[in-house]
Amino acid sequence: MTKEFEPKIVAFVCTYCTYAGADLAGTSRLKYAPNVRIVKLPCTGRISPMFILKALQKGADGVLISGCHPGDCHFTSGNLHARRRWTVFRSLLNFVGIPDERIWVSWISAAEGNKFAEIINEMTEKLKTLGPFEPYKTLIRDIESPAEI
Amino acid sequence: MAQILEKNKLDEMIARLNGDGCEVFGPRKNDTSSWYGKISRAEEFCFDQILPDRPLKELFFPRTEPMMKYEIKKQQVDAENYVLPKKQRVIFGARPCDAVSLTIDDALFAWDACDEFWFERRENSVIVSIACNKKDDFCMCTSLKSSPDVSTGSDVLLHELVDSAGWRVSAITPAGQDFIDKLGDVFSTTSTDVSVKPPAEVPVKFDLDAVIRKLNSPEIFESDFWKTISVRCVGCGVCTFVCPTCHCFDIQDEGDVYHGVRRKNWDSCSFAMFTRHASGHNPRPDQASRWRQRIMHKFNYYLERFGQISCTGCGRCSRVCPVDMGVTQTLVTLSTNGGK
Amino acid sequence: MGNTLEEHIKRTRQLLECGEVAMVIGYERGSVENRRRATFVKEVSELERMVLDGLCCENLANYLVREELLRSFDGKKVAIFLTTAGVRSVNILAAEGQINPDCVIILGFEAEKPGELDSAIKMLDGEHVDHYADSIQQLKSRGFVNDRAQVIVKLEMMSAEERFAFWREQFSRCVKCYACRQVCPMCYCRRCIVDCNQPQWINASAHDLGNLEWNLVRAFHLAGRCVGCGNCERACPAGIPLMLLNQRMAQEVLKEFNHFAGESSTQLPVLADFKKDDPETFIL
Repeated sequence: MTKEFEPKIVAFVCTYCTYAGADLAGTSRLKYAPNVRIVKLPCTGRISPMFILKALQKGADGVLISGCHPGDCHFTSGNLHARRRWTVFRSLLNFVGIPDERIWVSWISAAEGNKFAEIINEMTEKLKTLGPFEPYKTLIRDIESPAEI
Repeated sequence: MAQILEKNKLDEMIARLNGDGCEVFGPRKNDTSSWYGKISRAEEFCFDQILPDRPLKELFFPRTEPMMKYEIKKQQVDAENYVLPKKQRVIFGARPCDAVSLTIDDALFAWDACDEFWFERRENSVIVSIACNKKDDFCMCTSLKSSPDVSTGSDVLLHELVDSAGWRVSAITPAGQDFIDKLGDVFSTTSTDVSVKPPAEVPVKFDLDAVIRKLNSPEIFESDFWKTISVRCVGCGVCTFVCPTCHCFDIQDEGDVYHGVRRKNWDSCSFAMFTRHASGHNPRPDQASRWRQRIMHKFNYYLERFGQISCTGCGRCSRVCPVDMGVTQTLVTLSTNGGK
Repeated sequence: MGNTLEEHIKRTRQLLECGEVAMVIGYERGSVENRRRATFVKEVSELERMVLDGLCCENLANYLVREELLRSFDGKKVAIFLTTAGVRSVNILAAEGQINPDCVIILGFEAEKPGELDSAIKMLDGEHVDHYADSIQQLKSRGFVNDRAQVIVKLEMMSAEERFAFWREQFSRCVKCYACRQVCPMCYCRRCIVDCNQPQWINASAHDLGNLEWNLVRAFHLAGRCVGCGNCERACPAGIPLMLLNQRMAQEVLKEFNHFAGESSTQLPVLADFKKDDPETFIL
């Protein structure tokens, strides 16, 4: 029996909202898929597109970016900058063929432990049906192959 | 008496060579670019271009090449070299200026540490060049005291027949003669001599001896000439990458904490960061000093160290430069009144 | 000042003679017949080598931020021949604190058929970026209706896999020469992200992954800043259709944030600004 594909999700989250929300999911003993690796940043405003590219470079099948709801940012406006940034970056990635369905963005507050668990579960399910991000994985494999000539 | 290769025998030639385990490379073209690439059928050749946009050095010195794989474990580091597969190759349809470039770079790649990647590919390749009977405004092989049908660096030299049905074949080296002998009746022999198209007439654009003299003079290094001649240059590096003799490279480890690949990548002395030290000091802080380096390296330092000019006159640098630089203009100015 | 070439040349002579400008940046004949290239005139006697015709396509604003040239401005102004795209470049450079727009005297022109020698040239009025506000607004309201927009539509109708394959093939030709970066007026970073290796975000090697990452990052860094001058695409030795990426980004910021690069010298960069009601259709 072949092992079922387990997608690797990297989540870049802000400390004051989503990370606290994830913590709440944990303390509330909510079950959610173990496929996510969380990277804590102080604010979504700090999340650079380089991080997403690095996650993809390291073999992530999907990336989640999550932070405070607009108006509730611990640093006032970090998430408002992030909102513009992800609108542009996501459309660029989509244009180049890195599909929308692999890059998720959400607002999850410190009280929304449930929402965090739901989103992780939803994302894992969706990525299971999409399968591994093969086109990118071949790019990664190819860098180890010898020069063609 | 002459030996001929007819164009309609090319597919047979490719089949025979492939059958012997030998790959064929040649000039190719598509809508966006032209290069020396792998050929599996004669129709893929494009002999009609002046020369491919990309230089022949790509087949010997790829723009990125993994040298070694490493894995860092608790008590040790495991490293494994990449070994080149022993592949015989025939490069059919090289331009003479590209063939010459290989002999120029041989000196560099053998200097100090012998570059096995370069020499293994050199040893396994036969170069069959086709003399040029066309030129464009950028060609300047004759200014470098070379010619459109120079044989240096080629194992076999072909001259196109007047009726364009094929080429007259001349073996230049024993490896070239071997190549011809092995292919037997792919070639035909005529009892009389044949007429070939005359080589292109490439006008001489500058006096190379005057350039060399000027670059050897004591006052040229500090001269303001470099500032004025290079003011347009934006330091993009395209000239380096399309030049058949440019050979600078950067070695970089690509990977993460636990494993990675050590690679050799093309680099360019035109890049601002090329000579930047870890301290932040840069001995070539402006484009003028970098342009001076480019010219001096090719036409003075390389000559002093290896006895050869590091330029074959192919003209690619001038063709691709986005701001219309290229070495030609500088050399023309140097040879006439520049350098003051 | 004037609206004929003669008057523009007369003006450059005036500016040089009275010492108001350190130099005039314009075009001269190139090394072969159908080439034009940048020229930097400091003396009136050198003016005779300047030309202006349909082949003058290069966006010269790039030279306003070339380090060595900046030093030779000597505190004086500089006069420069620019198309409207070039004026927008100056606006962006000013808005991002790279140049003082009051030190740039614009000699505006527009070719009817850019790229063709026999194209008519219209001289534009206005020596300061502010004089071009209206014409830039007109450009903005026209939006992006051109051949490239058609190609973009076609690409967007493909599946993600097909698009990825298309772009992978395009970028496979990239040699990482960085000509696109060097000829772009907006790429003025003294140390590009690709030159940093502690940490290394983007692979510097010219394999398919490194090429994809580089071109993605550059397109992102230009989002909302690219004026569509085409310097990058013309400079690329591998014929990669860079302007497709850049125009797609320009279309995106216009649609989502009503942002058009280079509208004024005080315009906030699109990603350095935000509105409370910015669209967020895809955020969960």
